This record gives sequence, structure tokens and C-alpha cells, in this order.
Amino acid sequence: MTSSTPFLRFEGIVAGYGGGDVLKGVDFAVQEHGVTCIVGPNGSGKSTLLKTVSGLLHPRLGQILFKGTPLVGKTPREILKLGIVQVPQQHSLFREMSVEENVVLGAFLVRDRAEVSRRLASVREMFPIVATRAKDKAGSLSGGQQRLVEFARCLMLEPELVVLDEPSMGLDPKTLRTMFDTVKMMNEMGRTVLLVEQNARQALKLSHHGVVLENGQVRLTGTGREVLDNPEIGTLYLGGTFHATPPATNATPMKETD
Amino acid sequence: MNGTAVLHSIIDGVLTGSVYALMATGLTLIFGVMNIINVAQGIFVILGAYLSYALSVHLGIDLFVGLLITIPTLFVVGIVVERLFLTRIKGPERVVMSILVTYAVSLVIEGILNLVFSTNYVELHAWYVNRSVKFLGIYLGYIYLLGFAMAVVLLAALYVMLYRTRFGTSVRASLADQTSAALVGINVRRVSTICFGIGIAVTAAGGMIYGATNAFNASSSYDLISRLLVIIVLGGMGSLGGALVAGIMMVTIEDLVGVVWGPVWSSLSFFLILVVVLSLRPQGLFGKRSVRVA
Repeated sequence: MTSSTPFLRFEGIVAGYGGGDVLKGVDFAVQEHGVTCIVGPNGSGKSTLLKTVSGLLHPRLGQILFKGTPLVGKTPREILKLGIVQVPQQHSLFREMSVEENVVLGAFLVRDRAEVSRRLASVREMFPIVATRAKDKAGSLSGGQQRLVEFARCLMLEPELVVLDEPSMGLDPKTLRTMFDTVKMMNEMGRTVLLVEQNARQALKLSHHGVVLENGQVRLTGTGREVLDNPEIGTLYLGGTFHATPPATNATPMKETD
Repeated sequence: MNGTAVLHSIIDGVLTGSVYALMATGLTLIFGVMNIINVAQGIFVILGAYLSYALSVHLGIDLFVGLLITIPTLFVVGIVVERLFLTRIKGPERVVMSILVTYAVSLVIEGILNLVFSTNYVELHAWYVNRSVKFLGIYLGYIYLLGFAMAVVLLAALYVMLYRTRFGTSVRASLADQTSAALVGINVRRVSTICFGIGIAVTAAGGMIYGATNAFNASSSYDLISRLLVIIVLGGMGSLGGALVAGIMMVTIEDLVGVVWGPVWSSLSFFLILVVVLSLRPQGLFGKRSVRVA
């Protein structure tokens, strides 16, 4: 990848489910090694956008480039092979399979058994629950525990880009903190993270970049703090103006995209 | 009625039920992975029986040896049918559309079988078909014992495939949740096609035993499909273990009722059990509470 090639770029994405377009021309870029958080009201197309990245939904128009490689038209399997893993909004563990079976499935595309074992050992260290509840059925775990196992599973592929669709959904406040800490840890390990979050305040606080989606289009982009500090966005989507830091007099103006 | 007759009916029920369980396992596997209700399963059983008949009568090939040809043949037929007709069914009406499409497939195959083999009833013959062995004072037909052994071997092979192989893991994941399976890199399309092939392939074995224990023509498929659907609904749609238990249970109870209350009650009992169980457990014995649709 040359320095001028963005890590992930959405170019004029138009997509929907047959009953009209949900995304109406989405353009923005995701920076490598950063955490990018997409926020916006319900129905703005956040989850739909993530589905176009993982290949679950093919856009009607537009292109998504991952390190210059077009993603549109590729299957979820082909996209995984490029190093992009998605953890969907709804719990996606196979409930009747054991925790370990679920985690190993994360490396389904890796044929080398020794390599899978090495990765499993590494993931066990990061997520002790993978070792302590290895033989338990995944369906017997709490919502928060399932989310951690899903994170562990997605790391089995050693992805370059981790796509998280509302990872905090249904979690209690304590588990929520653990979950966000884990997102931070994944990023510190060198993974680029693209996430959609309803819990926008906390998510934007740990994000390097923020994107506001509204009616299927990008309303604003900026750093996580810029989005948090924007009074209009705070009122509209974050339940009132929220200052993560004292307003800076020399803050970089937020880039308005439309 | 005496004790021996009851014991005989129970053993007969278990032996025959295992073959029904095998055929129903194919049907429930197809539904579980693909959301397709394959009402053509009955005619595929009859197609399997006719293939065994043709090999036996025209080429003198033993019924069990013939399975080495009929099972792969029906596997290929299943894959062709899935590729030609079922890949096109998409969207929220997939389940309903699948009934119509597979019913059409069933009618076409029935017509072809009537043209080729006529509507006259035929039976499969081999030296062991009419022989029996005495066990605990009752006579057990070789064909029922061999059919049971075959069903056990094939179900065990299916079990090993599902729980001990990489492909089996991808089948179980697809059975549980197709979207999640796709997101870990499982080629759900390919898994679906192969599962349809496997689901149809097992009818070759079931059809051979059916044809060796019943006189049949193409129309026999209607009675078969109604029984197979009852078994998978009772076991829980998409549940492999449910199909196994319900298959053996239903045929055993049917046989037992026939001995205790008379044959006229046996068919009635088969469907009555379904009504009673579903009124208590709408999801069937081993089914999930909500059936996934599309």
C-alpha cells in the first residue's frame, strides 16, 4: 500500500434491501491503525454500511476499496481472506457448540493446524474466558461473556481490520467498560477498528476518528473529540452538548462533507 | 394379542423405524441448512427403489452392492436439482416457494417413472428378502435386520462426518446460523448444495429397503412423504437427533398400535401422535422454539 492509498475508502456507496436505498452515497476514508466510530440516529444506515464491508450486502452503486482492492462483489469469505473480520450486532456464537469450538471457527480459513493452535494459545492469554469456559456451550454464557468470545474468535484470523456492529448492545455498565477496554486493546495490538455504536459518547472518546451518518449520507467527519465537542451533533445524537475536553480556542475546524 | 406379538411389533418398529429415521434425517438436514421443505423427498425414495430394481433385474446386481451405484447417483441428482431449481429461490417466501418448486420436481420425476416403469407395482427381490431368523421365539426378516444395520452404519457415518470433520463443522454452523457461518468464512452456498446432495443420497438406501419390504409404484411416494414430514415436524424441524428419535418412535408406536388395537388404528395413531405432541410442544420434540425463516 502506498502512502497515498487509503486503508479503507467508501466511494459513493448506494445500498438497500429492496425497499429503497438506505445508503444514498456514502464517502469517507478509514485511517490505518486507528479506531473509527460511526454514529448517527436509528435508521441512518450505520449497520447497513458495515454489511457492505463484510460482503453481506452488495451495494447498488459505488465502490469500497481496501488498500486499493475493490470489495464490492466479493463474498464474505473472500473479504475475510483479505483480513477484514466483522462481529455482527446480534450475538453470532453457535450456541450449541463449545466456547473453544466457536473460537477455533474464527480460524476456519487457516488450514495449518499448528498455526491454529498457536493462535488459540495467544487468544486464551488475552481472553481468559476462552480457557476457563472452553468446554461449556457458548449458549450458556452471559451476553457480555459471549461478546468477549466473539472478539476472541475474530482475532483468530489475525485480521488487519476489525468491524464491530454495536458491540455494546445489551451489555451492563461494568461489562461495557470491559468491552471498550478490549476494543482499545485490539487497536493497540495494531488492528484497525471500524465500529458502529449507539453508545456514542464512550465510543467516540476512545476513537481516533468519528463519522456522523444521517439519512444514509455522511453528515460530518472529524476526530473523535471533534465530533463529541460539536454542539449540534451533541444535541442531536448524544443527548445534549457534551464536552470531553474544555473547548479549545485553536481546534481544527471539523470537516463538513455536505 | 400376546407378549410375543407385542415384542415382535416393537422390534419390527425399531428395525423399520431406523430406515425411516435415515430418510427423515436427509429431509431435516435439507430444511435445517437451506430452509427448504423438500416435498420431493418421497419421490426420491421411490427413484432410489426403482434404480435398485433396474440394477437388480437388468444387470443382476445385488441390492446392497447396487447402493454403491445408487447412492452416488442420487447424490449427483440432488446436486443437479439444487443447482437448477433451488438456487433461484430467494427472499422471505423461500420456504413456501420451496414447497411449490420441489412439488413440481416431484411431479416431473413421478411422470418419468410412470413412463419408464409403468404404474404396475413392483418389488425388489434377493435371496435374503423372504428369509428370516428366529430370535426369542419370533421370526425376524433378514431384510429388516440388514436394513437396520445399513441405517445404523449410514447414520453413524453421517454423525462422524458432522462431528469429526471440518466440513461437518461448517454444516453444523450453517444449521445454527447462516449469516454467522458466512462471517467466519464458511461457503454456505457450497455447504447447502452438498447437504442437499447428501439429503437425497440417503433416499437411495431408504428406497432400496422400502422397495424390498413393500410393493411400490411412483404413487407410493405420497404416503412416504406424508410420513417423513410427520417425523421431521415431530422431531423438530432441522433437528437431526429429533428425526432419529421421532422416526424410530413413530414407526414403533404405529406397529404396536396395529397389534394391540388392530391395523385400522395404526395409521391413525401415526398422525394422532403428531397432533397431540404439537399441541403441547409446537416446536416438536427437539426443535428450537422459533423456526428460522429465510
